[in-house]
Amino acid sequence: MSPELSRRSLLLGGGALVAGATLAAAGAAAAIDQATPEPTGRRLSAAGRTQAGVARPATPQRNALHAVFAVPDTSRLQRDLAALGSAILALLDGPSQTPNPTLPDGPGDLTVHVGLGPRPLRAIDPSLPGATPMPSFARDDAIAADRRDGDLLVALASSDAGALRPALDHLLQAVPTLVPLWAEHGFRAAGEGTVARNPLGYLDGIIVPEGQDELDENVWITSGPLAGATVCVLRRLRLDRRAFTALDVPARDGVIGRHADGRPLSGGGPRTQVDLQAKTPEGEYLVPARAHARAAHPSFTGSALMLRRGYAFDRGPDPTSGVDDAGLLFVCFARDLDAFVRTQLRLDEVDDLMTYATATASGSFLVLPGFSRTRPLGSPLFT
Amino acid sequence: MRPRPRLIPTTLAVVLGAVAALSAGACSSSQGSQELVRVPADAATITDAVERVAPGGTVLVAAGTYPEQVLLSTTDVTIRGEDRNATVITGEGKRPYGIVATADGARIENLTVRETTFYGVLVTGLHDENGPSAHNGDGYTRLDPDKFPPVRRFSIDHVTAANNGLYGIYAFDAHDGVIQDSYASGSADSGFYVGQCRQCGILVTGNVAERNAVGFENANASDSVMIAGNRFSGNRVGMTLISNYQEAFTPQRANTVVGNLLADNAEPDSPAQASGSFGLGLGISGGIENALTRNRISGNPVAGVQLANTEDLAAASNAFTGNAFEGNGVDLANTSATRAPAAGNCADGTPTTSPADLLAPCPGTAAQPAAPLEGTSVPRGTSFLRVASPVAQPDMGAWTGQAAPLPARVTMPDPAGFPVPPADFLAAMSGTA
Ligand code: HEM
Repeated sequence: MSPELSRRSLLLGGGALVAGATLAAAGAAAAIDQATPEPTGRRLSAAGRTQAGVARPATPQRNALHAVFAVPDTSRLQRDLAALGSAILALLDGPSQTPNPTLPDGPGDLTVHVGLGPRPLRAIDPSLPGATPMPSFARDDAIAADRRDGDLLVALASSDAGALRPALDHLLQAVPTLVPLWAEHGFRAAGEGTVARNPLGYLDGIIVPEGQDELDENVWITSGPLAGATVCVLRRLRLDRRAFTALDVPARDGVIGRHADGRPLSGGGPRTQVDLQAKTPEGEYLVPARAHARAAHPSFTGSALMLRRGYAFDRGPDPTSGVDDAGLLFVCFARDLDAFVRTQLRLDEVDDLMTYATATASGSFLVLPGFSRTRPLGSPLFT
Repeated sequence: MRPRPRLIPTTLAVVLGAVAALSAGACSSSQGSQELVRVPADAATITDAVERVAPGGTVLVAAGTYPEQVLLSTTDVTIRGEDRNATVITGEGKRPYGIVATADGARIENLTVRETTFYGVLVTGLHDENGPSAHNGDGYTRLDPDKFPPVRRFSIDHVTAANNGLYGIYAFDAHDGVIQDSYASGSADSGFYVGQCRQCGILVTGNVAERNAVGFENANASDSVMIAGNRFSGNRVGMTLISNYQEAFTPQRANTVVGNLLADNAEPDSPAQASGSFGLGLGISGGIENALTRNRISGNPVAGVQLANTEDLAAASNAFTGNAFEGNGVDLANTSATRAPAAGNCADGTPTTSPADLLAPCPGTAAQPAAPLEGTSVPRGTSFLRVASPVAQPDMGAWTGQAAPLPARVTMPDPAGFPVPPADFLAAMSGTA
């Protein structure tokens, strides 16, 4: 594909065009949220049509804490969510002069979003997006039961790693009945927008929805009471870096479908889309038949393009097996759960990268619509 | 080499750059007024001739080599070579296509198209004023078929397509047409391709495809598609019926496949099938309700027929009756994933199967067991530009005047008229020069 004319460069290319498009989007009725880049560290409002930390800030904060809980008593859910939402607003959107013992340096760019897992969603209404749990994917049987399909997600992200745990502990005081299941501290390499190097050393987060229109089309639920919600999937993937890096560089590139600097094997620059059809004259795909970028391409499954904002983790050797418990906490957002499910089923069948990944925790969550002082967190679920 | 005979659908890529390259020469929208334009006597190039010809007229092309690409957008025009083997449009290994017809009623006949990087002849409703447009956007946006109504009424007859980078002869988003008595070799994707239509009304008959990655491919072309009396032998894969989410109208369904020869599809002198398939007569990936009758399916070393899923779409309710299976690695194999198990595929007679308990008698409905297929060693692909050229192909003879416009509907032949073909069916058109 001609790099000049790819979708990506159309979006990133002519400055004037892009500016025009942004202005137009700001006035559009369907527009859910603004995703304009924020300077790192700048304070973000927790209130809004969507929750913070999904698409804003446009460049994900370098640190995150994803904490998953069981909800023992779903009959309290409406009250619990409202209390959690108020606590988030009080912590993040309070007047900046007020002394804040939890975050003595102020909230900075800390964001918190909250999602509900399949069980509580089913209890409210089995037809809600995300109410059906994901199927078991290849080798998922090895995931411990309490690390699958948790009930509630609190995801915090900040430039300041030290802010995460105090903020979480503070927020949990508002919902004392939640039972912690698992949590993961994650970190991202330096990057721009969603693009950053992943634990295998490859630029990741290149092909994702960008800008208002693409986010509305692929990520946000845009109509009905759940407008501003999205479906998040977490997969804690232990990666066998040693086996991967034992491959020579061309073989690694073939597993990914791109070079480490992002350039597709089908040609073009670091941001160019892969050309799935490009072949050698001998008929071989330039992006190999079992490359990850081909396997994950949404065109094969007819799915939405997911927003991927994953975090690396590293907990050192596993005490029982001695294997390094390090890898990628894969985090994605899409307007339906199917986008992930259909893609992962396909990856299990045709993706060579999956040889190097072992899921050790997994969950799907409906990230609730945005909230404010007048619109409590979770309230759209109960109308 | 990894022997994984899974069928991964492939589609064309219409690179935007290709359209840009074309538009310089084809942006005129004015229609000509000449009933008959002779090339080179009246117009130096076929492109010039197409601009001058009146709706309903004919462009008659003398023997010669024409290094051009032709966009036909005038209704009911015939482009006809005076000598099928010597009237040659060439892409010289650098231009994307030979002839693209975007107007209703196109007849393309008695000529050769060679060495294009994408496709020899394409008939499609998916285009803008400059030529064919990316049929699937960039793969991230869904195609809206309503925006691109199909082109209607076409005939591709006695056309030779050799050494083309994707497809030889190709109908996409097209209805009510015939591809007959044509020939395709050396295509890196498939020799013939019919794609994306419902109630297509398309007849594919009397054709020969050999030395292609795939001889004939159907992706999402359904209902009234009849594939009758063709020779799809000596490719890597003889033919495929595929559902493909990259295009509109999944699942593929209800073709009539009758009286074809699908033999010895293990030809090393062909480009590689990009997902590594080799040694396969017929692949059905997520296709349903196809009737496969009285075909000779023989000498395909991996499998005569392979059933597989396309994502969540199962290969289901395909009925094999009266086929002659012989000398295949296994006659019928099912490699579907458990998430979309094959169901209700049935066969009469006593074909060999993998797994052994695959089949129920016709008609069937039950879910069917699957097993991986033994691979085979796959020879490296040959460059599409280096695959051997075909033998001289039969000529239509002298032009006898402008034919009447093509009818609104193709009259489909009676399938009963197609017996199991002999092992040497259409052999006179097969072979290398
Ligand atoms: C095993 C850990 C994984 C690693 C190291 C990884 C890495 C990558 C890399 C390097 C790219 C290419 C650059 C880009 O477009 O961002 C990519 C693309 C992509 N990945 Fe992953 N990935 C992993 C798991 C997954 C999973 C589990 C999914 C979803 C089920 C997924 C979905 C995608 C998608 C949708 C693309 C974009 C494909 C395109 O449209 O070009 N990835 N991934």
